[in-house]
Amino acid sequence: MKKRTYIYRRFERFWHWTQAFLIMFLTITGFEIHASYELFGYEQAVRLHDIAAWSLLILIVFTIFWHFSVGEWKQYLPSTKLVKDQVKYYITGIFQGAPHPTKKTAYNKFNPLQRLTYFGFKAIIIPAQIITGLIYMFPSVYSQIGGVGVVAVIHTLGAFVLIAFLIAHLYLLTTNEEPAASVAAMITGWEEVSTDPAEEHQKHMQTAVEKSIAGYYRLDKLGKFVDVNDAWLKMYKCHDRENIIGKHMSLTREPKHQQELSNIFKRCMQGETVIGIPVVRKCKDDTIGKHILSMNPVFEGTEIIGVEGFIIDITAIDNLQNQMYHTVRNSNAGYYKLNNKGYYIDVNDAWLEMYKCDNRDNIIGKHYSLSSNQEDLKRFDEIFASVIQNGTTITSEVARRQCKDGTLGKHILSANPFYEGTQIMGMEGFILDITQLDEEDLKK
Amino acid sequence: MQNNSIKKKSIGLIISLVVIIVPWIIIFAINDKITADNLPDGTRNVNFEKDTLSKQADHSKFEVLKQQFTSPEQVTEACLTCHNERQHEIMQTAHWNWDREVTRTDGTKTKIGKRNIVNNYCIATNTNTWKCSSCHIGFGYKDKTFDFKNPSKVDCIVCHDNTNSYEKQPLGSGYPVTKKEVFEGKTLFPPDLNYIAQSVAKPTRNNCGKCHFFGGGGDNVKHGDLSSDLFKPNKQMDVHMDTEGNNMACVACHEADRHKIMGKAYSVSSANEGRMECEKCHSEAPHNNSTLNNHTAKVACQTCHIPVYAKGVATKMRWDWSTAGKLDADGKKINEHDKEGHHTYSSEKGSFEWKTNVEPEYVWFNGTAEHYVYGDVIKDPSKILQMNIFFGDYNDPKAKIVPVKIHRGKQFFDPVNKILIVPHIYGHDSTAYKTGLDWNLSAQVGMKEAGLPYSGKYEPIETEMYWRINHMVAESDKALTCKECHSRNGRLKNLAGFYMPGRDRSILFDIIGVLMISFSVMGVAVHALIRYIKRDCIACE
Repeated sequence: MKKRTYIYRRFERFWHWTQAFLIMFLTITGFEIHASYELFGYEQAVRLHDIAAWSLLILIVFTIFWHFSVGEWKQYLPSTKLVKDQVKYYITGIFQGAPHPTKKTAYNKFNPLQRLTYFGFKAIIIPAQIITGLIYMFPSVYSQIGGVGVVAVIHTLGAFVLIAFLIAHLYLLTTNEEPAASVAAMITGWEEVSTDPAEEHQKHMQTAVEKSIAGYYRLDKLGKFVDVNDAWLKMYKCHDRENIIGKHMSLTREPKHQQELSNIFKRCMQGETVIGIPVVRKCKDDTIGKHILSMNPVFEGTEIIGVEGFIIDITAIDNLQNQMYHTVRNSNAGYYKLNNKGYYIDVNDAWLEMYKCDNRDNIIGKHYSLSSNQEDLKRFDEIFASVIQNGTTITSEVARRQCKDGTLGKHILSANPFYEGTQIMGMEGFILDITQLDEEDLKK
Repeated sequence: MQNNSIKKKSIGLIISLVVIIVPWIIIFAINDKITADNLPDGTRNVNFEKDTLSKQADHSKFEVLKQQFTSPEQVTEACLTCHNERQHEIMQTAHWNWDREVTRTDGTKTKIGKRNIVNNYCIATNTNTWKCSSCHIGFGYKDKTFDFKNPSKVDCIVCHDNTNSYEKQPLGSGYPVTKKEVFEGKTLFPPDLNYIAQSVAKPTRNNCGKCHFFGGGGDNVKHGDLSSDLFKPNKQMDVHMDTEGNNMACVACHEADRHKIMGKAYSVSSANEGRMECEKCHSEAPHNNSTLNNHTAKVACQTCHIPVYAKGVATKMRWDWSTAGKLDADGKKINEHDKEGHHTYSSEKGSFEWKTNVEPEYVWFNGTAEHYVYGDVIKDPSKILQMNIFFGDYNDPKAKIVPVKIHRGKQFFDPVNKILIVPHIYGHDSTAYKTGLDWNLSAQVGMKEAGLPYSGKYEPIETEMYWRINHMVAESDKALTCKECHSRNGRLKNLAGFYMPGRDRSILFDIIGVLMISFSVMGVAVHALIRYIKRDCIACE
């Protein structure tokens, strides 16, 4: 799947092109100093080479800082994974029209060979050029080591490597599906890149958990908190995560509700997944709140090492509380993500199940109107507009859905905007099924 | 919102471009402004002040100088009545002694100087001292019987005469003429000793020049950078002595302390002491350019700032004694000149080569030198014999690259004893080579006088003698450009032992580098070609 993605950030592009220019300029002046040809005149060549060298050095200092501060350095860690496939692709696959063995994504911009090459570039060639170049600038240093000879030879060899690199670098650009688009990407920052569904999904879930108004928690096998998100903390009226992590879950219940919680915990620790149970919590300030709880075991290999789950606040819709108690045996927290035009970017399995849909690809890229009937759509439009335009968050909205087979379902919906920088890029949230509520209510 | 975002992006793009491009425009714009060449005359760091003191005493008022002098010694005695300690100073200098105590490279302490060093011009003083000593600062230094302890033999006025009328007779062993005399076409008058004695002062260029510009018996013969051109040079000839500019006297740089004058000529000096350095006035970082200043650790100022020497009068580059002795059909001595009038052959002396505007050769030099002294054994007569050896190399922190004149020649050595012959050249008897044209006789007499063995055999040997080039400093814009050394066949192409960018490269690694690029290009070409050929197959699939 392709997605237009902001892949090269502004500094990254500035750095790339400035570095490209400086390195080429250094090469041109450098080989004049090497007496390979005459262009600027020796004195000018030396002067310009020096100026360019200092400029590059300053740029590199900033770049190192940038790489570590934004974490982009990880992109350059070489890995042996798929190196063989990549080599095989360039040697044989490309001639047979085989697909690229690796996909470019925003989180993995470089193929394994690029990683390896750029790592060598950054860890060996550039440092070698800088170190030898600096020694070159200070005769008092190199006269201690018997002259500039070795230094000069290494420096020149480094320049040869850079030229060879440049040739290959430019050529390999043409092996991209759209070379011009790749160049454009290095200028504008945006490129159509593959999205790794699993990775995207994981990333979405991660940010959804971090940013959503659904509370997330994770317990170890003793029932102590390992992690909670901001929404969880907010629901428990707690400001400092440190007050929760490492504490036992019993902290969050009135004595009369302790047994219920430990029962659920026990079930999960035996491998069961518990979904959609309305429960009553005790907040930090001893007030009472209500939420719907899901809990599932966390595996490491085959061993259950703890549990995790979501909570969605329902304190405000107290009137539903009783009904909910009977609901959602087979419900689960469904997750969805819409872009700012209302198209689905991601949904989870539980969502798909609720919508009676078995293929995610039937949903992704579709507009949300697909999943609503006409009468409910108006309300959803309002919600969407409010989230996208005003950045409001919606919690505990009872909504109806139109499933794939045309039947209707009922769920509680949460919605919140997600951002890139300060710009709202779309809406995401969770849904909890309450369809059965009515039926069971009727039975009663 | 969309419009806003595009606007924002284009502003961002423009800012980025400006940030990238503007510094470069600025650098290119100011680049020319910050070059050292645009400095006013490169005089940024000159630490020199002209001596503006008036004359310390008016010598015309001293009674002792009003007496009627009949001999130059009387003038000296008169000087010493007041300056009654100066004779001791003078008598310790090499100007007087023609030697000084040194430690030679083999560790022995000995006195060496004009008295016992062999050169490849007129070869040696020895029996010829009576002629050479017309440039001695004394009276009557004819041979080794001269009394170096007699203060009245010191010639004060040869250096301190400011009338420019005092002149020693070229064959007078240090004495001026006593009556009007014509010598080699020049009329010499007996000096007016009273007039001269009453107008003594600090030495002028004339005082120094009349000996030092004529070393080797003629104008600019020896040094190459010291010629009569420096009596009244223009700026193009010498920036320091330019009569319309700095107009500096020799002693402005060659300062003296108790008559011990700064500056060394390594044709006779050995030790790294009492040297003159440009840095004294100009500092070690005189350029407004750190790259140039970086050079001063290893490159002497003279190397770049004296691009050529012998800018006026030609200097002798080669003297081949082995061709001497030929006579013409009538049995007469031969003298030949080239079309510029340079003496190219003489039966009495051999053949000569002369040159003007000579590009110096360059050597490493740390301020110490060794010399060929009477009796030194020649290790390998098949090799060129260095009459003086300049020490130093790249790894020697005291050594710098200096420009030199190398005077090449051929003279005779005794192949049995493996020592240079110090022949008897000048004299009116037939044992003097100039008169008798017989090397054997001249060697016998000369070697006997020098106390050296002589086998009776003599063979020619190639020689080299090194002369530092220090004068005739060019205007700053005439200094060497980078390229003149930093190129494959530049001026330093023969100076080994260090890597110089632009001159040197590792052929091996250059080949590796070029191969690397070639493989890269070929790899790309082959890969692209296969892709091009296979494109239809891919389309079918």
